[in-house]
Amino acid sequence: MQVDRISSPLKLLTIALKTGRVTKKYPFGPPLLTESFRGAISIDPAKCWGCGACVLVCPPNALTMRFEEERAVLEYFKGRCIFCGMCADVCPASAITVTKEFELAATNLEDLKEGVIHRLSTCAVCGKPFAPAAELRDVMKMHPIAEEYANICPECRKKRTAKAFGLSFGANI
Amino acid sequence: MKLEEKLKSIRRSPWVFHLNSGSCNACDIEILDALTPYFDAERFGVKLVASPRHADVVLFTGPVTRETLPKIIKTFRAVPRPRIVAAIGSCAVGGGIWWDTYSTMGGFPKLQEILKQHGIEIDRVVYVPGCPARPEAIIYGLLLALGYVKQKVSKVVRVVES
Repeated sequence: MQVDRISSPLKLLTIALKTGRVTKKYPFGPPLLTESFRGAISIDPAKCWGCGACVLVCPPNALTMRFEEERAVLEYFKGRCIFCGMCADVCPASAITVTKEFELAATNLEDLKEGVIHRLSTCAVCGKPFAPAAELRDVMKMHPIAEEYANICPECRKKRTAKAFGLSFGANI
Repeated sequence: MKLEEKLKSIRRSPWVFHLNSGSCNACDIEILDALTPYFDAERFGVKLVASPRHADVVLFTGPVTRETLPKIIKTFRAVPRPRIVAAIGSCAVGGGIWWDTYSTMGGFPKLQEILKQHGIEIDRVVYVPGCPARPEAIIYGLLLALGYVKQKVSKVVRVVES
């Protein structure tokens, strides 16, 4: 008994000395981040088309697309993001990258929001805004199609095709 | 006494109460991680207490399910002023993946509106996103609530030139 009472604290002390200090000095030192860690995403506005693929795939709707009169706003709300990185996988322009940013704490919810504003290009026939200009520009680069088709909104394109189809059958339009 | 003066008095040793409102337990485990010797939140005097009546800061997790809502309101009534809340995880911040389901309230911002109807004021909220939030992120959020560190994120709106 007597021996135990003396030896057991000594045993603990030797274990503690052998292990050393394990505490991370985090706010004063580097954080413990692994290679595979996924943090907040960053959207590069120079590359983004505004196609909305990330909006469709986002599980918690942290990425949303809002269409205003002549502009489309891609909004990223970090507070709802689950950091799955699926948006980075589907982005056709690889504008979205997963960063290792995790110090996202904020006292105001508005601070967690991020926006990319796209200008919508207008239809050459009816004059309505229909698609982000950046998307049209980059799609034209990838698959050059006739500019008269690219600058027309789907509605007007449908009408034009129907008219051409009807004319070929001799309809009187 | 003003909020800033009160904050000064608890800054050296904030007692935290862990409040789970139906989360998946990932954030709760990260909170435990933050309190273990590895990350050691006790360096800043953070101590886990068992009763909301002793708490300075409430570590809030979960999207506030309908089942927990009455208990959550009861608990927040028991917390003394100033009520400082750290909403941890994407569920607590913005509702997470359950942001618009019928069975959850959709995170702390929605709960705050309900608490206001019950006459319960929240003095300061710190939102800590993450799914789950890292132990470092939780420590960072706590330090932000107490005024040790400065906020790094801010609202950014950029216009595409084309």
